[in-house]
Amino acid sequence: MADNGGKKITLKSSDGEEFEVPEVVAMESQTIRHVIEDVCAKNSIPLLNVNSKILSKVIEYCKKHVAAAEAAASKASTEEGTAAAASVTKPSDEDLKTWDAEFVKVDKGTLFNLILAANYLHIPGLLDLTCQAAADMIKGKSAKEIRKFFNLKNCISPEEEEEIRRENQWAFEEEKRTRAFDAYA
Amino acid sequence: MASPSFTELPDDIQVNILSFLTPSEISAVACTSHRFSPLPGLPSLWHAMCDRRWGQFTSPASWGPNCTSRHLYRALDQWENLIGFWRRIGHGHGSATGAHATCHPLLFFKWNSNCITGSQVSPCTEPGSYGVVKSPFVWLGTSPDGEMVSYRQLEEDLESEVGPGSDLVPVSVSFVGPNHLVVEPNGGFRSGDEDMEVAMGIESGSPPDRATLEMYQYFANRTSPCSEKGVRRQRRRERERRKSGLVAEHFVRITHYCPTPTRPLEGLWKGICENRSLEFYLVAYDDVGGITCRRVGEPGAQFSGYSPLFWTPNADFIEAPFSKEEYKIYTSREHITGDSSSLEERLVSRMLFINSSYDLVIPDLAGGSGGNLRNVEGRVWEYDDGTFGFGFLRNDFIIDLKHIALNGQLLDSVAASRM
Repeated sequence: MADNGGKKITLKSSDGEEFEVPEVVAMESQTIRHVIEDVCAKNSIPLLNVNSKILSKVIEYCKKHVAAAEAAASKASTEEGTAAAASVTKPSDEDLKTWDAEFVKVDKGTLFNLILAANYLHIPGLLDLTCQAAADMIKGKSAKEIRKFFNLKNCISPEEEEEIRRENQWAFEEEKRTRAFDAYA
Repeated sequence: MASPSFTELPDDIQVNILSFLTPSEISAVACTSHRFSPLPGLPSLWHAMCDRRWGQFTSPASWGPNCTSRHLYRALDQWENLIGFWRRIGHGHGSATGAHATCHPLLFFKWNSNCITGSQVSPCTEPGSYGVVKSPFVWLGTSPDGEMVSYRQLEEDLESEVGPGSDLVPVSVSFVGPNHLVVEPNGGFRSGDEDMEVAMGIESGSPPDRATLEMYQYFANRTSPCSEKGVRRQRRRERERRKSGLVAEHFVRITHYCPTPTRPLEGLWKGICENRSLEFYLVAYDDVGGITCRRVGEPGAQFSGYSPLFWTPNADFIEAPFSKEEYKIYTSREHITGDSSSLEERLVSRMLFINSSYDLVIPDLAGGSGGNLRNVEGRVWEYDDGTFGFGFLRNDFIIDLKHIALNGQLLDSVAASRM
């Protein structure tokens, strides 16, 4: 429900494409929010560090989350919450999580660019989401696979690698113990 | 815009990404190249990992400026399993001298901004009050030197958030299995201490339950220290233990202590019973669709058989509106409540048939509305705020139950009064 009359703002990508979005969606970015609030009557904001492909993805994220927040707010005002319901994860939360998971199913390059854009535009939710997705790409990989993922040249000798592994042996033992807990939980 | 590689991302973003990983995954990253080999020694990374995992519960930065984030991570990784409710088992009272002989049944661990505290939770003895008395029991945090330590508090008027004081006994808080806790006086928990030495011998009678059996197995499998230094350390700790008068105390986790949408009656509850005293109850769902409610921590009786307060084989609720007879059964009763100013007629949203005894009563054989049936039969009435009351057909009152804790917070807690 766009009570603010649906004021629109234009965002311009680094390669010159223009995107017209509702102001409330653009304000998901703290950077843009500051620009709008500090300089009144700003119609077009150039974003020199974000290209059109990434910007359109970012806008897609912001639109979805603004809509979800508005839906949740209107639901809360029309329903009586009960004590039991307070601990329930509302179905819409689950839907949003599913949507987020699909949103980050992109190639490594796009993901890293999204991370940079989320950092530059200061959108905390998107930054956490994309960083988690990048971490998930590292999880479960061996050192060799991670090296490939990082595009690192193999400049470390097997002896050195073994020494690092030994120094951090305690970390593997901690894992085993924590997994034992999970098995019982 | 060419896609950056991981190493071309700004440093703080790299740390942000890595903060989602576990220690062994960090290890794997460290093994990839010289560039990343210093990673496990990077305090800012461990700090970010602590924040990532526990930032919503506590404030890792305030656990002590001298504490290495790496040690903090290890300690919190273990201590986070303490959070929640535990039930005391065994005959172990707090103190062998009997000064604190009241056997508080419940132990509640929660996060604070710079420590974890465990408190004994017992019903307030003021008649008609729903208050629960919370008295400090165990404190886990960091010493001024940055060591991870855990203390047992003996005095009841100590602030749980303030650091160790004079009436604190260093204890080790250790897990015998994930749902079994031992608190014993033995020197503080050191996160670097892989070999947790244990006081030999536990003072308890013959073990009737599986939990105590686990306990014996755990102690039996400990190897005695064979080095002389180890023996000396062992003896010193025995002396310390005997001096404090404390014995090892054992607790079993109450795994489901809060209701869920599919199990609205599950968990820990408190209610004022017919003699106007507050009691704690635990409602559990079984695997075949039934529910059992038991009292928690009956003093003296270690495991008061398995006789339930009430039970039902069928947890399916009956929705309002109800029959006239049922309304009559409900409205003709008195709610046992604390204050006289309390509630007008509570709105009942759903109800359940319950029994108070496991004795088999077959309705058809009992013949019509048999007297036997009325002796054991009862009702649970669920109110629209999620709490519920129960009563039996053989009497005419309702015991209303309230949550002991909601969203990780203890409700209606009152300070322990001086004895």
